[in-house]
Amino acid sequence: MSDQPAPRLEIRGLSKAFGGVRALSRADLTVLPGEIHGLLGKNGSGKSTLIKILSGFHAPDEGSLEIDGQPIALPIPLGKSEAHGLAFVHQNLGLLADASVLENLIAGDYDRLNPWAINWGAEAARAGRLFAEHHLALDPYDPVSTLSPVQRAQLAIVRAADRVQVHRAHGFGGVLVLDEPTPFLPIEDVRVLFATMRRLTATGVSIIFVSHDIDEVMEITDRATVLRDGEVIVSFDTATTDRAQIVASIVGRSMTTDRMIAPYVPSASPAIRIENLSGQIVRNVSFDVRPGEILGLTGLIGSGYDEIPYLLSGATCARQGLLHLPPVEHELTLMAPAGAVEAGIALIPADRQRAGLALELSLTENITLPLLGRSHNALLLNHRRLADITAGIMARFAVKADRPRQPASELSGGNQQKLVLGKWLQLGPRLVLLDEPTQGIDVGARREIYDRLVELCQSGTSVICATSEFEQLETIAHRVLVFDRGRIKAELLGDQVTKSAIAHACYQENRTYAPA
Amino acid sequence: MRQPNIAFQVERFGLVIVWIAVIALFGALKPDTFLTWSNFSTIFGSEAVLVIVTLGLVVPLTAGDFDLSIAQVLTFVSMLTAILSAKLGVPMLAIIPIVLAVGALIGAVNGALTLYFRVHSLIVTLGVGTFLHGITLWISDSQTIGGVARGLMQWTIIERFLGIPIAFYYAIGLAALLWYVLSYTAFGQQLLFTGRGREVGRLSGIAVGRVRLLSFVASGVMGAIAGLLYTGTTGSANPSSGTTLLLPAFAAAFLGATCINPGRFNPWGSVVAVYFLVTGINGLSVLGFRTFVQDLFYGGALVVAVMVSQLVSGRKERNL
Repeated sequence: MSDQPAPRLEIRGLSKAFGGVRALSRADLTVLPGEIHGLLGKNGSGKSTLIKILSGFHAPDEGSLEIDGQPIALPIPLGKSEAHGLAFVHQNLGLLADASVLENLIAGDYDRLNPWAINWGAEAARAGRLFAEHHLALDPYDPVSTLSPVQRAQLAIVRAADRVQVHRAHGFGGVLVLDEPTPFLPIEDVRVLFATMRRLTATGVSIIFVSHDIDEVMEITDRATVLRDGEVIVSFDTATTDRAQIVASIVGRSMTTDRMIAPYVPSASPAIRIENLSGQIVRNVSFDVRPGEILGLTGLIGSGYDEIPYLLSGATCARQGLLHLPPVEHELTLMAPAGAVEAGIALIPADRQRAGLALELSLTENITLPLLGRSHNALLLNHRRLADITAGIMARFAVKADRPRQPASELSGGNQQKLVLGKWLQLGPRLVLLDEPTQGIDVGARREIYDRLVELCQSGTSVICATSEFEQLETIAHRVLVFDRGRIKAELLGDQVTKSAIAHACYQENRTYAPA
Repeated sequence: MRQPNIAFQVERFGLVIVWIAVIALFGALKPDTFLTWSNFSTIFGSEAVLVIVTLGLVVPLTAGDFDLSIAQVLTFVSMLTAILSAKLGVPMLAIIPIVLAVGALIGAVNGALTLYFRVHSLIVTLGVGTFLHGITLWISDSQTIGGVARGLMQWTIIERFLGIPIAFYYAIGLAALLWYVLSYTAFGQQLLFTGRGREVGRLSGIAVGRVRLLSFVASGVMGAIAGLLYTGTTGSANPSSGTTLLLPAFAAAFLGATCINPGRFNPWGSVVAVYFLVTGINGLSVLGFRTFVQDLFYGGALVVAVMVSQLVSGRKERNL
């Protein structure tokens, strides 16, 4: 180890807690000059907290940072990380599609430019040289909207590299942080992106490559670090480590979670069947969900599992697919939300703030919206009765609020979610679709939501729950479908539904599992 | 409903209190000209048109859209009424359904352009309004047209009830109708969700496109009613009559949203706001100020109204 060069970036003992929950606990990370360093871990393992500390978004509770031997004061003021040679490419890439390649390239680079007269000709020439150097065939004047996804990713990465270039003069070699740049790219394009990354590191830049995908990390990185529950589990040389070891350190030996549901008892009523469903990502997926069953859908980011609740409820249009809700068959390309509500389908969306509740409006207005004109006279609303209905739901779902007239924005996340649940379950749906139902919700409210879902399945309702939280599935799912790049990769049943089995299924190599 | 009650009631009736204070102030300064029943009955009657235009704006505003064309619908309908009645001799009972249908059609065009091409209603209605003004100037040859059948004036300002011209009661009747629709019908709730939580509404099965289209049609019809009454008030149609009404109506709609049902565009708040604004202007002109106070007052009121409502809601970023 004595021949190791001085590290490019060195993090020591970095910790951060949010309201008593440790997101990052005494984490160490060393990145060498010119290396590609993988950062692996499940959702909530602390990866994004670590990156947000580097970008100055979070202030750490303790810990130190050195870049090229120079100690950097933490927290880094927001927007100042670039001066230390740090640049970030997030999953959304931060490109404006309507603007030209050149406009995107110089966006934010205003220190270098004459603020009173941008010399577009000189900038275009400079961009041309930059693209030639990185082997990119891009015309500076093309709008970004005409670029392919991989070209956009390349542009974002080259822009980040260009930005840190000038700070080399101050002794900072440059570290690019690529936060999940690949999940929406086909495998061929991932290779193209990797070539760009390799050419960059050849110039001495270091790259931190954040990913869920073990195969990609094994292919491109020199070394990698695994985080789990806020702690650094291991840092290793990728070439000398095998896949099984990596998976084991990501997944960990988790304690079993209490299952809240009884084993599934087959029911005499016919199952709800989804046939040949295709959306933006999912392709030709078929599965069924039986009465009284909680079916979990999961996968890594970009695998498409989280599209399914929206496709089945008509919230987004399916490219093809049939929903057989006995005795009726629904063509999903024609499904609209009104029709879905009519058919007894309820959607609890992940985005509570925008799609779940109208925050400015009152609890009563939010809860009783689907009743109006249905079980309630549409031409003479009885506000007292509507308030009584609301109070009843608030009591049944243990929503902690002062009064039904209160705006929904005043409630905590957990109470908001219980409200949304109450809004839809009062209709007595046959199929309940949930997307990340406990996101941003405290433990107590989470437990109450699980209780409601278990009650629901006991009453014979079918529940489909899309989530990235494996523990949640272990707690409440009878059966789990694991998705990979738009297809079902594995099905776990009964006793197989454990956190670690789900994680193993998600990270397993076999990419071409035949659909169930 | 149990909340810091006094503060809440003060917020609800704040504008009413300010209005009364303004009346008291001008009354004390000019008791014999300002504080007379004839002055007030004139105000109530002549500003009924502004009340109706404001109510017409409240509907699309609730659904999250702007209708900048409403004042030009008023002008166009006013001119159409005058031409049909004075030049072509069409009986008034035939004219009324025709111009209401024209208003509805213009609203439908606004809605269709906004929805089909997904252009912001601000731009669509600005264009449609200006286009209508062009048509108005064209068909009238830029002249004021008089000689409208007397029946229309009879049933607008000549007929009085309790000393106030009957047009005032039309405006109050429309406010009551709108209050009922917004507060006591499912459609009112659908309008509200379309404006304040469009995605929530859509996922709950509201046909948000249809709701928005209907809101434009409603504002077109109300613009047409205002146009009829405008012609009835003066007995003639002036090709630039409505142009000066657009900003006062917006000022009143936003100011109205700070009272009675604070935080929401609401009909009774709009009525109070219109009469508060015109009382202030009337009082100032009685004191001898000239016409520039109108613009000071209306423009200032619009800015103050949106400032107040943002302060009340804690200065959250919002798209109207």
